[in-house]
This record gives sequence, C-alpha cells and structure tokens, in this order.
Amino acid sequence: MAHPDGNRADDKAVSIVIDGRQVNARAGETLLQAAERIGVTIPTLCHDERLAPTGACRMCLVESSDSRRMVPACRHPVVDGLVVQTETERVARHRRGLLSLYAADVDVVPGTELQAHIRRYGLDPGLPAANAPRAGRPDDDNRYVLFQPESCIVCARCTRYCDEIEAVSAITLAHRGSQTTIATVDDVSLLDSTCELCGGCIDTCPTGALVERKSAHRQATFPALKPVRTTCNYCGVGCQFDLQVDAAANEVVRVTSPAPGETTNDGNLCVKGRFAYGFIGHPERLTTPLIRDEAGELVATDWDTALDRAAALLQKTAARHGANSLGFISSSRCTNEENYLVQKLSRAAFGTNNCHQCAAT
Amino acid sequence: MGKQRKGSKSPKRAHRLHDTPRSKDADHLRLLPRFDELGGLRPGVSKTVSTDTGVPEATAYGVASFYHLLARPDVDVRVCTGLSCQMAGAADVEAALAGAGAAVEGCACLGQCDRAPAILRTDAGGGGHFTPLQAERPGTPGAPWGEVALPAVHLSPDSAELAINLSGAEDAGWSAHTHAQSIGPDATIAEISAAKLRGRGGAGFPAGIKWAAVRANRDRSPIVICNADEGEPGTFKDREVMAQRPHLLLEGMAIAARAIGAAEMVIYLRAEFAAPRKALLTAIAEARDAGHLDGLSVELALGHGAYICGEETALIEALEGHRGMPRHKPPFPTDSGYLGRPTLMNNVETFACVPAIVTRGADWFSGLGLGEATGTKLYPISGDVARPGVYELPLGTTMADLLAVAGGVMGGALKAFSPGGASSGLLPASMVNISLDFGPLQAAGSMLGSAGVVVLNDSRDIAQATLTRARFFRDESCGQCAPCRIGTQVIVRMLEQDHTDADTLERVCWEMEQGSICGLGQAAPIPIRHLVQHFPADFSGK
Repeated sequence: MAHPDGNRADDKAVSIVIDGRQVNARAGETLLQAAERIGVTIPTLCHDERLAPTGACRMCLVESSDSRRMVPACRHPVVDGLVVQTETERVARHRRGLLSLYAADVDVVPGTELQAHIRRYGLDPGLPAANAPRAGRPDDDNRYVLFQPESCIVCARCTRYCDEIEAVSAITLAHRGSQTTIATVDDVSLLDSTCELCGGCIDTCPTGALVERKSAHRQATFPALKPVRTTCNYCGVGCQFDLQVDAAANEVVRVTSPAPGETTNDGNLCVKGRFAYGFIGHPERLTTPLIRDEAGELVATDWDTALDRAAALLQKTAARHGANSLGFISSSRCTNEENYLVQKLSRAAFGTNNCHQCAAT
Repeated sequence: MGKQRKGSKSPKRAHRLHDTPRSKDADHLRLLPRFDELGGLRPGVSKTVSTDTGVPEATAYGVASFYHLLARPDVDVRVCTGLSCQMAGAADVEAALAGAGAAVEGCACLGQCDRAPAILRTDAGGGGHFTPLQAERPGTPGAPWGEVALPAVHLSPDSAELAINLSGAEDAGWSAHTHAQSIGPDATIAEISAAKLRGRGGAGFPAGIKWAAVRANRDRSPIVICNADEGEPGTFKDREVMAQRPHLLLEGMAIAARAIGAAEMVIYLRAEFAAPRKALLTAIAEARDAGHLDGLSVELALGHGAYICGEETALIEALEGHRGMPRHKPPFPTDSGYLGRPTLMNNVETFACVPAIVTRGADWFSGLGLGEATGTKLYPISGDVARPGVYELPLGTTMADLLAVAGGVMGGALKAFSPGGASSGLLPASMVNISLDFGPLQAAGSMLGSAGVVVLNDSRDIAQATLTRARFFRDESCGQCAPCRIGTQVIVRMLEQDHTDADTLERVCWEMEQGSICGLGQAAPIPIRHLVQHFPADFSGK
C-alpha cells in the first residue's frame, strides 16, 4: 500500500500477527488499517478515515504485544513482529463496559453506529442515567442542522470534519469534563457562524446527535428508508448522493452521501445537494412546458407546441436583427451533453458565439 | 478535496500518525495570553482574539472555554472544594459569601490546605489577575491561616541533612550550577542517575533516565519545562519551594538545561499562585543580572484553571494554546513534546533536589532515604492535624512518624489518611505504619503521588470524603475519552444514591482504569475501591 505522499523512507514493509493471522503492512499504517485488509472487524466510533485519528472514543481498544495497556487500533502504529488480539475476554469486557457508559450517557438512536455496536457486543453492567450537563443550542433556529446533545458522545468527528475537511471551523468542542459539548462561538446560530451548511457533520455523526432539522421527527424510521443513488445536478461537479425514500409514501425523506472513497465527492456534499431536495415533490414544480396565450397568461402545453413556438420566435428575431441579437444561456443543472448541445445550437444552428453556461466561471 | 478512486471501497488514505492537522502552531501560542489580556471569555472576545491571532473564532472559543479562569470571568470569589477545605467548613464560607451577594463558585483544590478554608478573589480589574489567596477565618484548630502565618516548615532531621531545606539560605552564587558546568553534561546526568532521584510530581519516574533520553535528542532543540501547575488535592509543597527557594528551583532547571543541551526553559505556573509568581520573577531577574542564565531563556507561563494540565502532555497542549487534553503516549515528551521538540519536564521539587545532588553527591543523597528510597521528600500535610504545613523528611518516613512530627491528630482519633493526593485514595488508621514511599504505597493499592497527605479523624464520614473527591475528578476530567468523562459522572451519581451496589461500582471502576487515556481516569477509581474495601461501614451506611 503506497502512501499518498510518495515513497517515504519509513514506508518499509513489516509483518504483524492479528488474531493468529499473518498480515503484511507498512510502517506508518495503523493496526486498524492492517486489520481491515484481512477482514478483521474492529469497532470504532470516533474514526472517520478522512480525519486524523484521535483514539478518543476508546471503542477500538485491542491487546497488542508492545503494550501492557490495551491500545487504540485506529492510531496505534504497526511495528514489525507485533502480535495483536482483537477478541480476547478482556477486550470483550471492555467493549461491554464502555458501551454501558455510552448507553448511560446518551439516548441511543436506531440505525446508528452506536446502536449497531450495542447490539453486537452487548452492555454490562446496567447503569443509571448519567444525566451529563451537556448543553445544546436551544436558540439556534437554523432550518438545516439540529444538534441533539442528549445523543452526543463527544467523539468530535463533526468538529474535526468541519476543521480538517471543510476548513470552515464553525463548530468546536467546548467546555470540559461531563459538560463537554459541541458548540458555536458564544452559542450563536449556525447561520451567524462561519458554517456553510454542507451538512457533513450530520453525515459523519455516529450517533444521530446531528440530524437534518426537517426530517428529525422521522429519525426513528431512517433504517427503513430505501436509498436511491443518483447524481446531483445542481452544478457540474457531479457529486453522487443517496435519496432516502419512504417507499410507501413515495417521498424523499432525506439525502445522505455515499461512504467516503466510493464516489467523486468522497462523502462530502454542499448545502444544495444535502438540503435542497424539497422541489422533488413540490406542488409548484414544473412538470410540463408553459407558453403564454394571447392574454399573456402562462398555460400548459405539450413539448412539440412549446418547441415550435420557441423555434419560430428565435428564427424571427434572428431574421430581423441578426444572429448576434440572440444569446444562449444554459444552466449548471444541465448535463455536459445538454450544455454541448446548447452551444451547438447557438454556434452551428444560429451562427452566434453568444453562448454561456452559468458554471463556466 | 477527495480524489476519484475508481471502484475502490478502501481508499488509499494513510494519515501520518501524530501530526493532527490544525491551525498553525505559531498562531495558537498567542491565544491564551490574548484571552487573558482581554479579561477572559466574554461575548465577542473570541472574534477579537481570532482576528489578532489567526486562529479560527470557534477554535479559539473552544480552547478558552476549557479553562475555568477564562471561561467564567464574572466569578468574584472561588471557594476551594478540596477535602481539607471542605472539612474546615468551606461550604459555610461559600454560603456566607453567596448570601452577601458575591458571585461565588466552588473550585478545585487551591493548594492552600494548610490555611483551610481557602478562597480565591478575582481582581476587580479582571483580565485574569488574581489577588493573593486569602483565608477568611481560622480553620482547623491550630492550623496557620492568613497570608503568611506560622513557618510552613518544621524540621525534624538536622537541616544539613535536607536536599531542599525550605527555610535555608538561598545560594546567590549558584555554586552547584558552577560545579555542574565544570564536570560537564555526562557527569551531571550520571550523578542524577546514581542518586536514583525519582520524579516528585506523582509518577516517580527516574529523573536520570529522562534526562539521558532528552540529551540523546539534543540535536533537535530540546527544551526544559518545569511543571509548577501544582493542583493535586492536598498538595502545597511546590508552592513553598517557589515562594521560599526560587533560586534553588531555577538553579536546578539551569543545571538540567545545560546537561541536556537546551537553550530554553519554561515554568508553567498555576495562575492562582501569586506569591510564588512574585518570588520567581524576582529570582529570575537576579539570576539574569548575575549572569547565571547566560545563553538560557526563561519564560514564566501561567495556567488558566485546569487540574488536568498538571499531566505533562496536557500541560504541553496548554502551553501550545490548545484545549488541555492529554496526548497518547508514545511518543513521549522526551522524544516529541512541546511543538514536537524533545522536552524535559520535571516537577518543581524534582528540580529543587538537583543542586544538592550535584554539590554533595549521589551517595549523600541516596543515603538520606529510608529503605530503598533515596533523598528527602517534602510532605505537605493538612486536615485534622495539629500543625499543618510542609515537612521535609527522609523519603520513606512512615505515616505515624509524619503525624507525630505534625503534632498528631486533632478532634479525635485517626480514622483515615490520604497519602498522596486525590488519586491515592484513603487508607484506614490500621495502616498508619506504612512507609510514605513509592513501592510500599503502590503495593497497598495506593500511591505516593504528590505526597499531599490529608488526615481524617473519627468524626469524618469516609463516604462523604470519597464523594468530595469523586466530584473533583468529575469536574476536572478533560472530557476527551468516554471512560473518564462518563465514568466519573456515573460514579458521582451512584455515590449520591442511597443504595449503591459494590459490584456495579467495581465494573465501572474497571472500565475507567482499563479504558481511560491518561492517569486521571485510570486512577480516579482508587478512592472508590478504598471506600468499599477499607470502610465498609461508611459505604453501606449511606
């Protein structure tokens, strides 16, 4: 496995043993990366492969021959000859104990990474609710991102995503101890912060503490939604995302991004892709061409009639004032092929270079 | 931006370990001092600090909110919630102050246990400046109180047989420093190693090994940092070293700096310590004038109210202008510490032992200890004791002997004692003959730690004392890792309940000890286990 930054001197091959199996790795890799390669699952919560590892959630602790204490696989470096065990009784006890603490501290949301770990590894001991004094932002009435502190495990994936991927730094870990929370400066609304509303924080959150405000009341039904992969047509980048559809109601409930590494956008989206899907089922959405009647009112018509009208008026204008009296502007929501055809129409059919596309700048 | 990876489910992404990207180091260095100058974290201040430093506004806010002295600038008076102060009626003081209309809040141990109950007043001018600590009224009978009262030092051995000797005369000529320079770095380090000097901050790591490790990295601009963030509950020894023997500390640091090849020294001092700060500034100026510091820079950096910053990597994070969250080790600071540079960090008392070792030799020093331990040790003692204060005694002195030197138990018979700070727990009177030394205390499920001894008489409820300390850990946890952040919170709730099941408590303790990143979470269960193990009547009597 090559490093993205080329052949560094410490890229030397090492060999380690994970759960009795030999694994070839390179210096600079982590135990987690080596384990993933041979299909050994180590549970994580604060890990997002796009972010520098912090080892803070403690979910990925495993036993390693170079340490008396269990080590976080997400940031523990491979060393030649290391013997790693991921399924010992000590590790299992730790996972149950840690998840018990999380379950005492937060409301577990269905369909999240946290709930999946609890189902797989179990809880022990049962604990009273911790009732941590973790503050939310009750006065933040932005319409996009809702922070539910009662479900937050303070893994800081959202704040690190905001810093390291988006370079926006709108949110931060604030306060300390059991009061630690995710905050904006002086607890202002996200709209008054540097936030660009990309919603990446929602996507990386492993506990559902961050959720789109509009669909938050349906959070319990998220696991039952059907994903439909499609390409965003708000601009020319070509991000892919999944429309999460309530099949029974034939309704798009939310938009999620594919896992990092799967598509061009690497798990990222912008405010339009993430939140501007309301038009899909909007009653005022245009579903048929409209032309103006003699009274100047828009009336529905068929494509042939509409195209005939457009062609006639374009030709009439060109005949009277010359081709350069026309201008053709296409939308960034068109595909490359459609944009090509528009300039072809402009240059070849009408003979003018007055053509532009709004994403050209 | 991510790059296209055709059909790849596992992107070729490999983070270089230990180089977490964040705002530029140089920008952060000015962050906390700037908040200080602007009077702490008030609305709008983060924006100014961001403009001035280049650190993103939210990041600046997040850092400042971590530190209590910055995060709550409108508090007039802070009342110590440490065990000795609570036993001396700090809660009554807090209620009285609040009743008089002051903005009051509790705070972690102020390191004034010998003057309990202690309070900290914020200057009217704000700006993170604090008046000297004051005790408002006499506390435990016989305890000194007020700004300076009884001498804090009571000597039992001959003062010539003390490594530090708090009431000794300062050596303005820095003869040990001169001698160390004449014998050279290797011989100096060899002497420290042969003396078997162990760190006096809590962990007891051999100083010689640490010095040699940093010296091995001397081509990468090593730095010397003195951990003067004394905050372990029940501990006030470094305070006295700095107030009374500041030259001894500086001389020890300078010897270390020259031995490891460092040109920079930093003292990270609790901001609450006004008198030590003044003494240090004077001594630094004198040492500079005398030429002792030629080729060496010394900076006095102030803390901002966070116990966890006494942990060495959290201290480094704070110095670098980040939230004081401990780092993972390795790498150890000796290899990569402050700004990635090799860093020698020792406690105040550790550095203060150095001049005597250099002057009088390793054999002399190691002959001072009892048993395997070497040297003398500053034992701060407070609580239900006749003469609270700092006693320098041979390392390994028994609890019984220390008690005798300090005038014995007040207000009843001995019930329990805490041998070395909050994380050392509470041991029963039956163990009074234990040596206050690294090995024996560790074997007993406790620790020497900072050697801050607190005495409890038989009128005290150990469950209540344990709850006091559990709350301390809850409030001072950095919040980074779940076992500590949630575990300390859950334990307080369980102790507050009427019926607490020992088995469940133990399971939480196990997870905290096994799963926490740093020593705070790993050691916080010790007092809980002591309560269950040594004081079953108090535990079940709740």
